[in-house]
Parts: sequence; structure tokens; C-alpha cells
Amino acid sequence: MELDWCLEQLYEGKLLPAETIRALCFKLKELLVRESNVVHISTPVTVVGDIHGQFHDLLEIFHIGGPLPSTNYVFLGDYVDRGLYSVETITLLIALKLRYPSRIHLIRGNHESRQITQSYGFYTECLNKFGEGSQVWQYFTDLFDYLILACIIDDTIFCVHGGLSPNIQTIDQIRIIDRIREIPHDGAMADLVWSDPEDDRNDITSSQFKVSPRGAGYTFGKAIVDKFFSINGVTKMLRAHQLCNEGYQDYFGGKVTTVWSAPNYCYRCGNKASILELYTPTDFYFNVFDEAPENKLLTDPMLNDKTLHSFFEEEYDTGNGQYDVFSDEHQAKHALKRQVDYFL
Amino acid sequence: MSDKRQPQNNAKTGRPTGSGIPIIQINQAREMFQNTVSARIPGNARGRDRETQGSVMSSATTSRSVPNSSASFQHSQSIKMATNMPKTSSNSSQVHNHKHNHTHPHKSNNPNNPNCDHCGTVIVPSPVASIPAKDDPSVTISDWTITTSKRPILSSDEIDDWTEKLKLPIPEMIFGNSKVELINTKTNWSIQFNPFEALSHVKLGDSGLRVSYSEKWINSKLKTSQVTNTEEGLQFGKHWDWSYTTLYNGTVSGNSDYEFVVNNDFELPIEKLTRRDPILFYDDFILFEDELADNGISMLSIKLRVMAERLLLLCRFFLRVDEVLFKVIDTRIYVEFDEDLVVREWKYMEDDYKTVLKKCRMNSNDPKKSLRDSNWVASVLPLKERICEVLTIKEETKKTTE
Repeated sequence: MELDWCLEQLYEGKLLPAETIRALCFKLKELLVRESNVVHISTPVTVVGDIHGQFHDLLEIFHIGGPLPSTNYVFLGDYVDRGLYSVETITLLIALKLRYPSRIHLIRGNHESRQITQSYGFYTECLNKFGEGSQVWQYFTDLFDYLILACIIDDTIFCVHGGLSPNIQTIDQIRIIDRIREIPHDGAMADLVWSDPEDDRNDITSSQFKVSPRGAGYTFGKAIVDKFFSINGVTKMLRAHQLCNEGYQDYFGGKVTTVWSAPNYCYRCGNKASILELYTPTDFYFNVFDEAPENKLLTDPMLNDKTLHSFFEEEYDTGNGQYDVFSDEHQAKHALKRQVDYFL
Repeated sequence: MSDKRQPQNNAKTGRPTGSGIPIIQINQAREMFQNTVSARIPGNARGRDRETQGSVMSSATTSRSVPNSSASFQHSQSIKMATNMPKTSSNSSQVHNHKHNHTHPHKSNNPNNPNCDHCGTVIVPSPVASIPAKDDPSVTISDWTITTSKRPILSSDEIDDWTEKLKLPIPEMIFGNSKVELINTKTNWSIQFNPFEALSHVKLGDSGLRVSYSEKWINSKLKTSQVTNTEEGLQFGKHWDWSYTTLYNGTVSGNSDYEFVVNNDFELPIEKLTRRDPILFYDDFILFEDELADNGISMLSIKLRVMAERLLLLCRFFLRVDEVLFKVIDTRIYVEFDEDLVVREWKYMEDDYKTVLKKCRMNSNDPKKSLRDSNWVASVLPLKERICEVLTIKEETKKTTE
């Protein structure tokens, strides 16, 4: 298969045919099944948090962080849902992983799941872009089952999507999870993609996981982190999963850090995003960035069609006069339909 | 492209000397470029508007004789300021009036909105992406001034502050500084909708509400930990109503001579509100939103439309807990400008998830689509409670003025 051709198309924001996506997913499953639940890598590496289908911001990340394969990347999960371009985002990441398997690592997030994607947009997006009868969503979600659960950088930095679990004291316990399945509602695998740190200053000594008042899911405090670190020789934990206005947030004096990489989340939060560039385990830099200018075209109703056409000129010309409903220009127009409404 | 790589190289080799500033500069340059581009497109009203404002500003800077040639960035910044500067100078409004030769019943108080070509023009507040994002569209009609403020989500410091004050974890997306305010400039009476007040109505303590799989989850934990008592075996974190259900119906302030008096017989005049009167000012935005750790959605949103004779504001709380329940709590403010009539209607609607799911059309491939549409959900939920109030001058005040 012409991987480089696929990448070329994907970098331009074009969709691949459903059959090609099927083949890519199949190939990647073959590759991922051989990877351990926990992958060991070394610096220098750049850590990226939630993307949520904000394709233009993903391209922005490759601009400011450096392109592959000259930069190593770890993605902390949540590639799909919410944004308008989940399909483009996940397809590009799949193709990159196939092309440069040792340069990019994709950790599973809680949105890489059948159940969640049906409620938060990815399922609907697949149907809209490939037609009602399409199997594309199945190809992707079957692949999600193979994504790895955690990364360890230089044996000291632990990377996961959500957080810790009461069922996991040692990293070896993550290695023995049977990960190739839908994310369950409870157990170690669920906690790794779901749990949140809780910076409770009144109760820093609590060594017990707390149950969320929702009645399911855990939060963990400083003492739990300290214990996990000393057992496993870890000095820092990087995770994503929670939106933060500044693009990153430290917990417990920097022992746990949230990295968030979806600027102006859902095209309306106005937040910054960041990627974490690690040069050595102790030398790092948060590269903070704002949303890509292309997103502004989506959110600014005052830019008329002409501007959009000229901005996405290539897209428009390749259509051979045929109207391309999958084009960015069409998508943007569609997004602009939020107009005045005689609500009651 | 090559200059884009520059900051990254700096960061890698020369260490983060500028700490990310280059990105902001790039964005600024892009913004400036885009302004110029959109200004050149014929028929782009906003573009033209910007261009003239830009030139006014640049001429102003030269006349003030501060043409410091230090950088083009200074120039770009001054243009940005100009676009955000209120165009309230008598000069420009005269020009406007002269052109159309009549006065308007309303006045747009914000330069970011497209100018009114004639009375029927819809004024849509446009989201302006600047750093930091700021937008305060406003309109004045007879005695009423209506202002909406839209701000980005709170910073972590602000969130810490709010958590302390409200004693509960703040929703995931909190547009803490966004609000809508209706002020009667004659009587100085006002009503406001803001997220802080809304969240202060959220109950602390155990709400009793649990996600659908909670029982299964807790039981499986209890089995493994060999403890039978929930409280002993599993320690719950702090309790609060995690669904953020709020019965908030607005914050009234200013003149205390007026009060809302309950009049449940009053119905909002549907025929007047369904009429397609030109909308002079429209806005919709979110005050807070939380996905309940992907167990549904909790959202407080504002919709507002102002016509020449009346306005309607809807503050809606929408809650969906997957496989558990739905709630919609609507507060509507209706103002009839000429009659000085102010009505507040508050509705509480609730039903369980299964009943609502049965009502949605199952023929499509994506049946859950309508469960995300608060309008559809509100239309099928049974009304549990309704309170309608009319703003009235207090009896004592009446007597004293007589």
C-alpha cells in the first residue's frame, strides 16, 4: 500500500476511501498486537494530550513541535469526538503510526471506545462522511481495542490517559491486563483511562482511593501518587483527560501534570493548549499554543463564502466542478448554519 | 514556513528563552493578515468597516506623532485596539444617520457588530477571536439596555477561588465571566444571569443521584474488598449534586421599589412571539457545561432575542444522565418595552430516561441524536412545576409616591 500517498492526502485534510481505512486499521492491528500494554521509550520526546477531532490543531502541533519522523511523539489519547474532524485526525495518526512505528505512540483514551463515541459525535461523523451503511466506525473502534494503555519514558516518567487505580500497585500489573477489548465499566483498565487526581489540601495524607459522588469511578490523592512512585521508581506522571485553561496543570507540586492539546476546545472554550517537550527526564518545556487560524473560519460567521473558497483553494479546485460535500469548505459552511433563531 | 520553524529551533537549541511568545506573535501576524485580506474583499461589510477603522486609527497615531518605527507589531496592535474600540464618537453616528436620513429605534453599543444598513437588519454579535478573547455586544431600546458578555473559560486560579467559595468542584467547562444583563435605565432595575449565582444554587451534600452502572460497580468493589458495608468498604469523595441541577431564575438588583409578584394565570403571548418581527439583537451562549465524566450532559445556556417592541430571554438548564433521567429547567424573561411589562416564567420538567427514549423516533440509524437536542427533550418532558411572575411596583412605594 502506498503509505506515503495516504499521508500526503491526509496532511491536506482529505478523506481516504473506506476500503483504504479498513486496510490501514487492519495493518495497524497487526502491528499493535505485538506491542506490550506498557511501552518503554526514551527522551527526547514530545507528549501530546487530548485532540478531540480538532484536525487543524493537530497540524499546528506538528508545525510548532516539529514534523515526524524527526520528532518523537507520545499521544495520551482522546483523538476523536467533539471536534468536526475526528475521522481525519485518527486516520492521520494511524497512517503515521504505520509509517514510523517507533517514532509515535498512541495511548488509549476513554473516548477510544464504542460506547462513548456513539454519544459524543464520532459515530455520527462517520455516518455523515461515509454514508449510513458504512462500516468505517466499526473499523476504527475495532482498532481502538488494540491501542496501548501506558508509556514509560526513561524508566521514570509514567504516561497514561486518566490516572491510577486501586487495582494497580506495580507497573507489572498493567502489563498483565488483557487489553484487547472494549473499555469495561470497572477494573484497572477503566480506571487507567477514567480516574482523576484530586488536590484536596485538607486531606493530603489519605492513602485511599475515593469514589466519585457519581457512584462510579475513582479520584486519587497525593499519598497514593507517592506510594505508586516509590514502588515503581517513577518520579513524574503525565496524563490528559481534563480540560485546563492554561493548556497544562500541575498537581501535588508537579508530580502529576495534565497536558491538554485542544485549544479553544469545542471551538468555544477560549482555552490555550500545550504540548510537553521533554529533552531529558528533568529538562522540559511546555510549548503553549492557541487555536489554528483555520478554526477561526469555522467560528467567524462574518467571513463569507468567497473567503472560504480562496482559503481552501486547493480543495475547491480538485473537485473538477463537482461539489465535494466532504470538503473543509462545505463543512465550515455547515458549521456556520448557527443563525438567529425564533426560539420560544 | 521557515520562520514558523524558528521558534521551535530556538526552544530546542537555544532553550526556551522567549517562553512560547513566538507563537503568539505568529497568531497576531496571522490575524493582521486575515484582517487585511477580508477587508479587500468587495461586499464584505465587516472588512470595509475594519479597514476604515484601521485607517482612522493609523492616521490618529500619526497625528499624535508617536510613529515609532520599532516594529510592525505595534502597528498591528493598534489596529486590533481600534477594532475593539467603541465607535461612540458623535462624528461617526452623524455620518450614519445622514446616510439613511432617519433615526433608529435602537442603538448598537458595540462596534464589532455589523452596522445597521436599515431598520430590518439583524445584528448578530460576531465572536471575535482575540487574545484574550473578549466580546461585549450590547443594544439599547427605549429604556432598556441589554448586554451580553462572553469570555473564555476560567483560569486555574479563578477555578481555585470559585471552588473555595462555592465548596464544590466546578463544572468542566465554566464560562465564569460570561453573563447577560437587562437594565432599565429609567428605573435602574436590572436582572442578570451569571454562572456563579447559578452554581451557588447547586445543592451540597449527597444528591442521591447515581450513574446507571453505579450499583454494579459498587457491588463488584465490595465483593473484592470483602466488606459488606458501603460506607466502611468504600470511601466516598466529597458529596455534592454532581449533576449541577440549579433552580436559578436570575439575579435581580438595582431599584428595590419593584418586585416580582406571582401570577400563574399569566401566559406568555405566543402569537406575538411567533410573529417574524425583525430581530435586532440575538445571542446564544453557554454559562457552564459538564459531561458528567461522559455519563451525559449538564448545561446551563442563554438564548436572547430582542425585537423592536419586545424581548425574550431563555436561560435553560439541561440535564441528561444516560440511562437514568432527563431534566429541563427553563427561565424565560419577557419584556414588552412600551408597556413596561416584565414577566418571568419558570418551568421545571423531568422524566426518566426510558420513557423519553421510547418517544424518540427509532427509524434512523442514530436514534440518540434527538436525546442531545434540548428543544426536542423539553417538548416531550412532562411539566412538574410552573411559576409565572409579573414585575410590579411595591404597594408601599405606590403609597408614598401618591
